[in-house]
Amino acid sequence: MSTSVFTDKVEAADFPKMDGEYHDLLVRVLRIQADCEIGGPHLYVRNILPSAPSKVDQLIVARTAAEEADHYRKVARLAGDIGVDVSDILSRPNRERYVNAFRGEITTWEDFAVFGFLIDRVGRYQLEEFVGCTYAPLDRILPDILIEEQGHIDYGHNKTAEFAARGGEARERIQKVVDFWYARALDMFGSAGSRRSERYLAWGIKRRANAQAREEYMREVKPLIEAMGLQVPDPNAGREFV
Amino acid sequence: MTQAPNARALDEHLQEMVLALHAAVSRAMSHLNDDPALVDRAIRDCEEILDVVLEGNVAEWLGPAT
Repeated sequence: MSTSVFTDKVEAADFPKMDGEYHDLLVRVLRIQADCEIGGPHLYVRNILPSAPSKVDQLIVARTAAEEADHYRKVARLAGDIGVDVSDILSRPNRERYVNAFRGEITTWEDFAVFGFLIDRVGRYQLEEFVGCTYAPLDRILPDILIEEQGHIDYGHNKTAEFAARGGEARERIQKVVDFWYARALDMFGSAGSRRSERYLAWGIKRRANAQAREEYMREVKPLIEAMGLQVPDPNAGREFV
Repeated sequence: MTQAPNARALDEHLQEMVLALHAAVSRAMSHLNDDPALVDRAIRDCEEILDVVLEGNVAEWLGPAT
């Protein structure tokens, strides 16, 4: 298989002239990204916004959801500019989300914290794949989105650490929650042998193979989990993809 | 390149809702220590706006696609 990489910059006006495979890959990326952005608020707003521990926490949950809705808006606009309507994704039932981590509901503050710490971090990795990508409009919307995602990650990290610091039962509970979301986080990177992953690289849409991105994520979170006095979960436990 | 129907209108409508959310959060954050009633109202406003966003009834927001 050719290892050449497409490096031209593509604007919306150029899109109709692009190869059919590029069309399919970019549309898939935009649909999945839109789905993940609005999928988060669908998971936690209903239960966590009313029940967050303090008024400040409630406001931060609201702000987080607002930022995710705005990320959805920006990705939806990119899709709309190439003739793809992703408005159906706004109201899609959780069970139909592309990514397993977004199917279900978050009902506890512990889950909300660890979701930010681990899953929003995967979101940041996925967005970083597109930095410098060949689809220029996508590259351009990333800087502000990445800053806001880092804010979600930091908040989740701090709240997770607070739980762990309480020790005893609180630490045991948060360890179980970390175990749950860690497996889902690793699966979000997809399978190691994915042919589609190779095609994303060939077209300059993504920067790393699935396995490489997952390894880098694991190296990043290992010291963070250990610094909280928690155990890094078995990377093979509870997994759907390897 | 032909845009999807209502792409711009949806973008503008969502942006208004996002700005309203941020305004409510900012207002409440400024008054956390001196006006608890305002903070509670802002939180309820956020809940209502997010309910609308997550319901995603685009046809109701924008009318039929043209």
